Amino acid sequence: MTELREPSERVSPRARTMWTLGALGNSVFTLGVLALVAYVWSPFTVPWWAFALLVVACAAYTVLMPRWRYAVHRWEATETAVYTQTGWWSIERRIAPMSRIQTVDYEEGAFARLFGLASVTATTASAAGALAIVGLDKQLARELVDQLTRRADAVPGDAT
Amino acid sequence: MTEIPAPPPPLPETPWLRLDPRMLLVHPVREVGRFLPVLIGVVVLGAGGNRLGWPQLLAVVVPVGIGLARYLTTRYRIHADRVELRRGLVSTHILSTSLDRVRTVDITASPIQRVLSLATVRIGTGTGGDDDLDLDGLPTEQARALRAQLLHSIRPPAPATDDPDGEPAVVGGEEVVARFEPAWVRYAPFTSAGFVAMAAVVGVVFQLGDDLGFLDRFEDDPAAVSLRAGSAVAVAVLGVAVLGVVVAFSVIGYLVANGNFALSHTTPDGSWHVRRGLLTTRETSLDDERLRGVAVGEPLGLRLVRGGRLSAIVTGLDRSESGSSALLPPTPRRLVDRVAAAVVGSEEPVHATLVDHGPRARTRRWTRALVPAALMAVALVVLALLTDLGGLAVLAVLPLVVGAVLGWDRARSLGHALVGDWLVARSGSLTRRRELLATDAVIGWNLHSTWFQRRAGLVTLVATTAGGSQRVVVVDVPEEVAVRLTTEAVPGLAEQFRSS
Repeated sequence: MTELREPSERVSPRARTMWTLGALGNSVFTLGVLALVAYVWSPFTVPWWAFALLVVACAAYTVLMPRWRYAVHRWEATETAVYTQTGWWSIERRIAPMSRIQTVDYEEGAFARLFGLASVTATTASAAGALAIVGLDKQLARELVDQLTRRADAVPGDAT
Repeated sequence: MTEIPAPPPPLPETPWLRLDPRMLLVHPVREVGRFLPVLIGVVVLGAGGNRLGWPQLLAVVVPVGIGLARYLTTRYRIHADRVELRRGLVSTHILSTSLDRVRTVDITASPIQRVLSLATVRIGTGTGGDDDLDLDGLPTEQARALRAQLLHSIRPPAPATDDPDGEPAVVGGEEVVARFEPAWVRYAPFTSAGFVAMAAVVGVVFQLGDDLGFLDRFEDDPAAVSLRAGSAVAVAVLGVAVLGVVVAFSVIGYLVANGNFALSHTTPDGSWHVRRGLLTTRETSLDDERLRGVAVGEPLGLRLVRGGRLSAIVTGLDRSESGSSALLPPTPRRLVDRVAAAVVGSEEPVHATLVDHGPRARTRRWTRALVPAALMAVALVVLALLTDLGGLAVLAVLPLVVGAVLGWDRARSLGHALVGDWLVARSGSLTRRRELLATDAVIGWNLHSTWFQRRAGLVTLVATTAGGSQRVVVVDVPEEVAVRLTTEAVPGLAEQFRSS
């Protein structure tokens, strides 16, 4: 079969916790705003069953999305290429040759730092071709940045 | 003209050059145009007093002063392999860019500039926007010479051809590939702009008809019927008249933008030159080295009249400045194909039969077109039942018909091919495009699949590139075909990730 296999490495299991808390925050915020609006602004009424349905949908999202996403998110860096797989409902796999990688970014968001996580983004000359790996262990992310920078530098060419 | 100094340092200081003094005539006119709202305000306000006060005086002096200041404070030079532009009176601002980062050179001339034989040179560096250098106002000849110098600096000098028993020296020349023909204006009403205008006309006519009561149920009163018939004729005549105006406007727009069009290829420095514009002329030069492919635009409207347009996929063109990479405006399809073949240097990728994406991909096009249409139809029927407007139910057929036509066209448009060193992809209906990308310009692959696509075993394959729209999309292709395509187009990249 000529199909692509999944990239070999998983992201940190702590990413699952991070996504769960993020989804929980979003759900609570959405429901809160809706409840507040319905309470303050009388012409706008939400039937109780619609609200209950929304609560169930948010709960399902909070529980299922992070697990699904963790199962999908994978990455791999070889001598000649980087390969990532991200998403959940819609999945995006990206492959870029080492010779075309222009910059390697390391980012530690305020939220991600709470979990000791960081993300690594390898950009190419195409705006459509950045490869982002979210939810890597900090230490591992730093090593990956060093490794990618070294390998990308080793290949000559202007990467366009 | 300054020459680039010879390599050995220290470099002699190259003097700064002024722009053409004739720009002093252009700037005030332009500033007056910019200050027009203020000027009108001042004149209107001043009219009551009926005397020439200081506001009126300021309104004349300020634009002229700004123009003068701009001329006096702007200088440029080519020094130490860099183009430098210095401007500003209070805070000096120096824009400087290395010559080997220069990717496109545009020459534009507004009507005022053309009268004075002046032109603006815009030097594009590919980073987009802020870094572009505008040399606003050089004599046309000097602008052309500067462009030749800049474009020549992009590529290494040609090997010496003057040795006696070698090839004869390459004679520089300009080959005109396409030149404006008046018959092209017949495509103007069929462009998207023309269609939008026509849709607006149809909408207005329907609205008028509605206001005059044609959509109501007819009553039996003969007087009312004859009155309606009379106004129906009036609305029809009005519709035709407005349609005529819209067609005229689209033709005028086409002429203004594309009059004097000429596409040529110069041989010694290897670049394409697009010249167009009836009033403001614009010359864009694209270096062969930066050309990564072409996109043949074949929107539904143009296809109906066997037309098409052509644009170049070039690295280093500002993305926000759409149109600057256009190679051909709406023109006959045969010409588009001929020029596309000339640009990519081969007939095959232009005419190659495309590989079909299979029944599952076609089904997906149909469902994606028909499901929203069906929802709209159902909504209309429900509305008709709820509101006693029985006529609405008839309208429900409309979205279904449009959806079916779109689905059919989008399904038959899907296709891709790998012809030699060219990746060819086609998709879309209203804005169908056939894109040809050199395989060595592919700098990565994205395989996108939603849950629905995975169930159908399809992926959307995206070849990322540094030029044009940054991506060439092969829509809904069976996964194994996509993987085979990636490995054949760029050997040695995706093989290592194949499942064995």
